[in-house]
Amino acid sequence: MYGALDISTSGMIAQRTRLEAITANIANKDAIVDVNGQNNPYQRKTVFFSPGNPAATTAAGRQLGVHVATIQSEATFDPRYEPGNPLADANGYVKYPAVNTVFEQLNAYEAQRAYEANIAAAEATKTMAAQALRLLG
Amino acid sequence: MLIDELSNSGAIPTLETMVRFSGARQRIIAHNIANLDTPDFRPMDVSPTEFQKALGKAVDARRQSTGEAGTLPFHGTDQVKVAADGTMMFTPSTSSGNILFHDRNNRDLEGLMAQQAENVGVFRTSIELLRSRYGIVQAAISERV
Repeated sequence: MYGALDISTSGMIAQRTRLEAITANIANKDAIVDVNGQNNPYQRKTVFFSPGNPAATTAAGRQLGVHVATIQSEATFDPRYEPGNPLADANGYVKYPAVNTVFEQLNAYEAQRAYEANIAAAEATKTMAAQALRLLG
Repeated sequence: MLIDELSNSGAIPTLETMVRFSGARQRIIAHNIANLDTPDFRPMDVSPTEFQKALGKAVDARRQSTGEAGTLPFHGTDQVKVAADGTMMFTPSTSSGNILFHDRNNRDLEGLMAQQAENVGVFRTSIELLRSRYGIVQAAISERV
């Protein structure tokens, strides 16, 4: 039963990582310049989960739970026509990150709710452990 | 010998089996909740109804052979195997029902939460009943000392 707490923790860690990526996407939605001053916009990050938890110490623990399989950067950009902009290319376009704040907000809500669901599961496990301890007297 | 008879009498072994089952099932439920957003994931579960049926049969079998005491002849179900030390090994099945989301996950958060509430309820009830049974044993012992 204590394994159940580890499983819920792995879910919380995964959702937190996802929320961090979403926060980074929103924070960088207008980041169009790289360290060399070139028009090389921020690449939107997407977190992908996979079942199982390779970090677990037991075989059963490795099968259950969840982990972040990969964080992908999308090299797609949103070109905007800004001929007056010093960063504009020959056709007058400036590349912006392909970040849609509405989508990001929705994803953030979903990650938050999933995080809360994991907390509810951990609370239930804790209640069960406390109940079992009552057997001692 | 006396301890064996005390711990194997009446409802105690049945209640212990229920506690073990719901403790192990909690892991499966937590796993399903942790994978709410995992692409291609299908929630899994073992059937509590099948388990309870098999446990009921074991109780009946014991009643017919040795009466209200003795080891419970419970060997699990297709999905639940009981090891010699009493630990349970689950072979959960995945459900094919419900709506399949765009990430090919057929999550059902409400269903999961209901399963969890039910599982905690079963665990709690079994623990309380077990506690009262142990209380009776304890009362009997203290009367003798």
